[in-house]
Amino acid sequence: MNETDNKNFDDELMAAAAELATEVMPERDLWPGIEQAISQPAKPARTVWNSVWAQAAAVLLLVGGSSGVTYLAMTDGAETSPVAANGPVLIFEPVAGSFGSMYHLGPDYQDARRSLAAKVDEELGRLTPEERAEVQRNIAVIRTAIEDINKALAEEPDNALLQKLLLSTYREELDLMMRVDGITGAAMRRGDI
Amino acid sequence: MTAESVAEEYGWIRKAQAGDAPAFERLYRMHVDKVYGLCLRMTGNVAEAEDCAQDAFIQAWSKLNNFRGDSAFGTWLHRVAVNTVLGRMRKSRREQDRIRAVSDVSATPEMIGDSGGLRDLEHAIDELPSGARHVFVLQAVYGYSHDETSEMLGIAAGTSKAQLHRARRLLAQQLKTECA
Repeated sequence: MNETDNKNFDDELMAAAAELATEVMPERDLWPGIEQAISQPAKPARTVWNSVWAQAAAVLLLVGGSSGVTYLAMTDGAETSPVAANGPVLIFEPVAGSFGSMYHLGPDYQDARRSLAAKVDEELGRLTPEERAEVQRNIAVIRTAIEDINKALAEEPDNALLQKLLLSTYREELDLMMRVDGITGAAMRRGDI
Repeated sequence: MTAESVAEEYGWIRKAQAGDAPAFERLYRMHVDKVYGLCLRMTGNVAEAEDCAQDAFIQAWSKLNNFRGDSAFGTWLHRVAVNTVLGRMRKSRREQDRIRAVSDVSATPEMIGDSGGLRDLEHAIDELPSGARHVFVLQAVYGYSHDETSEMLGIAAGTSKAQLHRARRLLAQQLKTECA
């Protein structure tokens, strides 16, 4: 076969390809499936979480949460917890939280949180300065994370990932506060005995 | 398309962009043969082509507000369909089973237009490896340029040229084998 044969064959091939039907009707109607798919409510788009500070918040949350839990677990196992009398009054203000454009923290949760925070403020005064500083540091880390996630939510109100993260951060905070309350309560009982 | 039908289509697009599903159904009816045809040529499989066409229209619905009218709606749909085919193929390993070696033969070529020639050609295109098939379909069947093809497939223009050359060579071998 020579070059001319090849050229002719190529030309025929391309000409024949151009004759092929470009419009073909499917054997079955595809519309019912399409209609069903598009009539369902749109899932929230998975947006890429690309803000550096929001990622930093997640890291802070992880580090803060784990170190807080570790610290509290170790403290909880101690035989005696020295009570610091006349400690300074600690400010434990609740952080305003929202869940984007669709959700808000309920009033019951806000009340319970405020009440627990006030109790923890009192209880913190019973810890040693070192313990108090450690707990405060952990709480501050979680609070910073909450604020940062809220800022991120202000920009992406319907980001499901951020909403979930905020909810779990509030849970971490609540857990930490309850643990502080439990520790000081136990210390009190031991001290009383 | 006539100016009248373009205006009519534009009306349906505007309504569909506002969330009107019946208007989108009109667009589906107007374009399903083009989208399905492309999916069929690119996948070489009826069931896969049906799924691709369905997915392409679902994608088109979700991205409809991105359509600004810079190109014809049919062209925009073609691009959505090509992306859908490529996306599905990336997810599927079935494509790997399609690739097979084509033996090198040296027979005298017959005229493609001879009896059953187009049918043989369709079959031969279906047997091409995906990269070569996609380029051949878009260029030789649908008449897109190298630049348009490479942009739609997300490949370099040089790759598009190389794949077209490969497709021609493989088709020539395949068709000559069948004729021999």
